[in-house]
Amino acid sequence: QQVQEDLNKQLFDNLVSFLRRSHSEFQEKTTEWTCRMKSREIPTAALVLGVNVTDHDLTFRSLSEVLQNNITPYIALLEAKDCPGIKNLMQKLMGQLMNCYVDVDSLEDEDYVQVSQNRIRCSMTSLTNWYETVTKKTDSETPSKKRTSSSRDWQSPPVVVIFKDMESFTTKVLQDFIVISSQHIRELPLVLIFGIATSPMIIHSLLPHSVSSLLCIELFQSLSCKEHLSTIIDKLLLTAQFPFKLGEKVLQVLINIFLYHDLSVQNFIKGFQLCIVEHFYSQPLSVLCCQPVDAKKRVNSLSHDQCENIRKLPSFRRYVESQVSEKQIALLTADSFLKEITQKLLEDLRVYHENYVSVLRCLHVFTSSLPKYPLGKQIRELHCACLENRVWETEEYESSLQLARMLNKSDLVTMLQQCVEIFVSSSGNEFDKTVEKLKEFLTQFQKLEAEAFQERDVSVSSQKELQKKTDLYHLQKTLLELKESRRSKKLTKFEMLRFEVVDYIDSLVRNYLVPADHKTLHEIAYFNTASVLRGHLNAAPRIALHTALNNPYCYLKNQALKSDGGRISNKAPDICIVYKLHLECGRLINLVDWLEAFSTVVMAVEGPNADAASSDQVDDIIHARFIRAVSELELLGFIKPSKRKTDHVARLTWGGC
Amino acid sequence: TLAKKIKEDKMSNLVEEYFEAHSSSKVLTSDRTLQKLRKRRLNQQTLHDILKKAPLAYAAEIKELNQQHESLFSKWMLQLHLGFNIVLYGLGSKRDLLERFRTSVLQDSVHLVVNGYFPSITVRSILNSITEEVLDHIGTFRSPLDQLEFIIKRFKEDSSLELYVLIHNLDSQMLRGERSQQILAQLSSLPSIYLIASIDHINAPLMWDQAKLSLYNWLWYETTTFSPYVEETSYENSLLVQQSGSLALSSLTHVLRSLTLNARGIFRLLAQYQLENKDNPSYPGLSFQDFYQQCREAFLVNSDLTLRAQLTEFRDHKLIRTKRGADGVEYLLIPVDDSTLTDFLEKEDEDV
Repeated sequence: QQVQEDLNKQLFDNLVSFLRRSHSEFQEKTTEWTCRMKSREIPTAALVLGVNVTDHDLTFRSLSEVLQNNITPYIALLEAKDCPGIKNLMQKLMGQLMNCYVDVDSLEDEDYVQVSQNRIRCSMTSLTNWYETVTKKTDSETPSKKRTSSSRDWQSPPVVVIFKDMESFTTKVLQDFIVISSQHIRELPLVLIFGIATSPMIIHSLLPHSVSSLLCIELFQSLSCKEHLSTIIDKLLLTAQFPFKLGEKVLQVLINIFLYHDLSVQNFIKGFQLCIVEHFYSQPLSVLCCQPVDAKKRVNSLSHDQCENIRKLPSFRRYVESQVSEKQIALLTADSFLKEITQKLLEDLRVYHENYVSVLRCLHVFTSSLPKYPLGKQIRELHCACLENRVWETEEYESSLQLARMLNKSDLVTMLQQCVEIFVSSSGNEFDKTVEKLKEFLTQFQKLEAEAFQERDVSVSSQKELQKKTDLYHLQKTLLELKESRRSKKLTKFEMLRFEVVDYIDSLVRNYLVPADHKTLHEIAYFNTASVLRGHLNAAPRIALHTALNNPYCYLKNQALKSDGGRISNKAPDICIVYKLHLECGRLINLVDWLEAFSTVVMAVEGPNADAASSDQVDDIIHARFIRAVSELELLGFIKPSKRKTDHVARLTWGGC
Repeated sequence: TLAKKIKEDKMSNLVEEYFEAHSSSKVLTSDRTLQKLRKRRLNQQTLHDILKKAPLAYAAEIKELNQQHESLFSKWMLQLHLGFNIVLYGLGSKRDLLERFRTSVLQDSVHLVVNGYFPSITVRSILNSITEEVLDHIGTFRSPLDQLEFIIKRFKEDSSLELYVLIHNLDSQMLRGERSQQILAQLSSLPSIYLIASIDHINAPLMWDQAKLSLYNWLWYETTTFSPYVEETSYENSLLVQQSGSLALSSLTHVLRSLTLNARGIFRLLAQYQLENKDNPSYPGLSFQDFYQQCREAFLVNSDLTLRAQLTEFRDHKLIRTKRGADGVEYLLIPVDDSTLTDFLEKEDEDV
């Protein structure tokens, strides 16, 4: 578990730094702009951030950090849920600004107390007064203080107010605030930043013309979340750095949740985290999923039970079956030999990863430029395809190779160069040969270029010959020859070379992009139970209720409950029977009829052994059970009491569910 | 492809079914009412007693299911500590399961149990119990938001504080509001507060938008238990159970027994008049003037004032309701359903 936490941390640091970097450019633009702005109107930056609201937290936090370091200490971050009215908004704003100030300056306690007292009566005038005193203080401070140095360009540093979720603010509050602050813009240099999830149109639909004319808006676009995803996949999955890997199905589930549900990078990371937790929790051999140095130590210290676990792995069994018989026996009985082999296999697995990544990138270079993208545009699609099956057996791969054979030279050369770069940068040392081979291809191409000139000369000369000879017989002969050569389409050297290159790439793919499932001991590094993940992240409570009510046999393993298809046995739990009966009704259900139908069904079970004398009591019990079942259905939200007719309930679902 | 086509067919079927269900405003059901049933209505207590006597079906299988769920407890603990929160769904009461989780795992740690099904629970009471019991803070807050801020601050300052919150029925009537969910979500997003909740309503996930979902950071667990919702439905006012809120026949007769003969006559007159007009949906009630006239004719009152005094007494016992019509005239109505009223009149006739 500790390993896992380490891994988690490593992963998160990586992610956060990445996110920071991706935002930094965007932030710099904004900060620069904040510096420049100085005008009658309130300068406003509208950041279009996309619908993945959950990811914006980080953006805003780092934005305010950057602003704080570079420009101004006065930053307030307002959220819609804190500001139902203008009064709350002002309070929040004041509190944050003063706290900000305190944070930056780290004043003594007295001032802090004073500030918190101030919170009670917050108005714009008190805000401006406060601002004046603060600026005076900063102005009169000695130059040795940091403050003055940071704001030397500014007579008065601006006060930045960030509205995190523009869409969920009430229009009234927003309008009032803008109108009020525009009155004070001279004393209080405000800068507003709106975080917009949808489109900039929202500003105009939220604010009437009279208000939006008070603003001087500039638009900023952030990176789309899809790009985030592809970079994250690039950083997380397609490196040899992390020993933990995702299987094809799991990756597919995560990507599907991202693309079809929420577009939230945060949730993707959460899913990834869950995968790690599940993997390290459920798979006993996951201890070996770590850096190679640690792995060696751990393999040596494996207990006998753990060795047995290794022997039980299906991929290991396959491996054993492919060995000779003496070795098989040794593997299955002697622990020490097994450990040795395991180390070797783990090393193989590691090498496989390294090669895999670089070959995959190489292949991506080729396929991503083909028309119609038979293997997908993004590297993640290619990755999925490679993990799923032997990629060279698929139709898409076949068609993309065919397309690749028709590439022109300049494209081919640039691609080859890219591939060389990839291989050079990859850590695996196996590619020296490959690099050499590719470089050889390149030089050949250069040679070809030179040859092409000559060739042209030759053809030109032949043309000239044609013109020279006026002899009819000769003319006929040469023409025939020309025709012949055209028909047979003798391959030019370039074409030959092109085929050679493509074939070579093909062979690379065949060698290195074997899906992970076919590797021995892949269970240690790969997490592949997609159903668990889907159940925990993307649950369907309604379906669970539906199956439990329709077909209780799924949960209660009793032979009496087994039934075929739509019919339900009368021995099912009460609530199932009541539910079934309610499915047959329309929009309104008469309670009396329902009760009678229920008691007929239940009596059919008890009928034979219930005698007439106790029928009254049985009736009572059935009545009570019916009441319980109906109120349970009400609690679950299938029905609700209706006033439209006496003793009726309304059905809230329709059809069969 | 075939699978897609089938899916599409299913989809369109579903849509059609919806419109089928909601197309005709006329609903065909029989007119029978529970009143006509020979059986008397059961009240809460007897219902409870009867159900206790009735054996629970499939007890063994249910127990097995529960044991399956219980084996997950240690996993839940691990996941809670890793910053996830756990939500349980599925048919059957999850109360016992959570209770067992509490007793077996959380015995030594600080935990808070919230009974969401309790009809008078509010977010404020949850927050209060955190501030008062867990944080030992005495004092009041102006708003739940302030209180929340205080809690967040305290938990951030003191990393040794840990709190497990178990919420039964997070989707209950009182907690399903937007604001309370927001507050709970913010609470649950604190790293040292661990939340386990259960939901039952089919539309429960509708109350969370993306922002709340990411605050909650749910891990979903299907825990179908099939055990009856005993506690949860005991507060649910069912149609079939005798309700204390509305006027029942027995209380009606009790009150009227204690009145004078003339007063009873007055009530009878009003009841009869109401029953005569029961098929008229726009019947506003009997106007005071008409009523006075009729009472005089039956020699039940002799002056305007006595009738008014009598009516005030009725009103105090909630036997009648007055409504002012569009023309400013007072109309009198008996707020009891017609079948009870008929029963009452029949009984009166027997007595006389």
